[in-house]
Amino acid sequence: MEKVCVLGAGSTKYGKLADSIGDITTQASVAAIDSAGIDPKDIKAAYISNVFGVADKQVHLGPVLMSNLGISDKPSLSIESACGSGSVAFREAFANVAAGFYDCLIVSGVEKVTHTGTDWTTTYFAYCSDFFYEGQAGASFPGLFASMARAYLTEFDATEEDFAKVAVKNHQNGLLNPKAHLQKSITIDDVMNSAVVASPLKLYDCCPFSDGASSVVLCSEKFAKAHGGDYVEVIGSGRGGSPAALQGREHMTTIPSTKIAAKAAYDMAGITARDIDFAEVHDCFTIAEVVDTEDLGFFAKGQGIQAIREDRTKLNSDISINPSGGLKSKGHPIGATGVGQVVEVFDQLTGKAGARTVKDAKIGLTHNFGATGASCAVHIFQSV
Amino acid sequence: MSVKEQFIENVKEGKVLTHKCTSCGLLHLSNVYYCEKCGSKGFEDSILAGVGSIATYTIITVAPAGFEKYTPYAFVILQLDDTNLRISGFMSGITTPADLPVGTRAKIVDFDERGIIIEKQ
Repeated sequence: MEKVCVLGAGSTKYGKLADSIGDITTQASVAAIDSAGIDPKDIKAAYISNVFGVADKQVHLGPVLMSNLGISDKPSLSIESACGSGSVAFREAFANVAAGFYDCLIVSGVEKVTHTGTDWTTTYFAYCSDFFYEGQAGASFPGLFASMARAYLTEFDATEEDFAKVAVKNHQNGLLNPKAHLQKSITIDDVMNSAVVASPLKLYDCCPFSDGASSVVLCSEKFAKAHGGDYVEVIGSGRGGSPAALQGREHMTTIPSTKIAAKAAYDMAGITARDIDFAEVHDCFTIAEVVDTEDLGFFAKGQGIQAIREDRTKLNSDISINPSGGLKSKGHPIGATGVGQVVEVFDQLTGKAGARTVKDAKIGLTHNFGATGASCAVHIFQSV
Repeated sequence: MSVKEQFIENVKEGKVLTHKCTSCGLLHLSNVYYCEKCGSKGFEDSILAGVGSIATYTIITVAPAGFEKYTPYAFVILQLDDTNLRISGFMSGITTPADLPVGTRAKIVDFDERGIIIEKQ
């Protein structure tokens, strides 16, 4: 298996964007190509992650991107895995470089939905659930994670104020990220007093609907060394699955696909959770970050909430969780999110993260799932 | 009648059509075609009473399109009595968490454009 490296990375700002889905995909891709210092003609193929292209009147995005990059003869493939699309596209690209099929690829994730309004975006997202049992019965995504939050509050020593602390922390990190959607300092009271979306989750427990695009250039180690410049090595890659509907899970406060993907990634890297210096995890809602940090092995079951209470996951504490601001503050353009996490890790491990730099970090992890964690991918990266 | 149609007809009568593995006995909802535990394709129908207790729930105030007129309402996950199975559904008339402590007894009563309808027992 070839060693696989990330050679360049770029993102648009996340938020409400005016440009079309094709344009923002291209902008992020150009930023990644420039960051890598390569010629677009070095790229052998593209992996595109996107869920609701139809909402901006553009599916089959790959050929549009390749034409804009002046490489219309190169193949491309679109991948959909709900909110986990980005990490799945990254995984497929990783596998193709590792297998030696291609020596240089681009992975570009994108979403453009904010123009459809809150009710329709909520509706579209509900199509990612097991619709017969969940979406059809009026379950929104905040509602599904709220059901997990209610179970967590019932099972463990946790309060709604503890969940609020996750949002406060991630907003603090996002303040240091110029690309973040919500650059705003908030307090626990702000979270507690925000409107209830799906009890017990309030507006500030929820990530925003965002537009945005992120892109990375992935290549073999041989290609990276030949081109010079900064790169990071991908040392672990794992995927996993869970029952599509929450009702099918043995425990509603854990996400099986995370545990399966994490074990595969740790095993490939030959390390454990204790070796991770920082992680970008899928905090679509505050409860999700708590569950993620337990399922990834950073804390024991039921102890993730204690870690939040004791500030052990703040920037440059025991383990920096979501130094970018996470989905909560950086934003969640769902097709872009999993790729955007890799952009953050690349920036962190190549000294480009500015004021939010995790000190002395050598190993970073990305964790990104689809829907309520029905699908998941985990990747581990090491500085070179 | 398709399996899905049979499932819905049972729900309308407050019952749950399940598939019981003929090899290992594990119960599945009727949309499953291979046993999660042993991989067997042999199933026999088993019709259960749609009665149990609330495993978890949420009260939704920001609704997907089509559900605005029902807010606030609950999306609930019901643990069916004496089985390993849970089933989700729509519950009206719930406005605060005090209305629906986890463990509240509930039952399936109908199926309509809101999917499986569950009521407090």
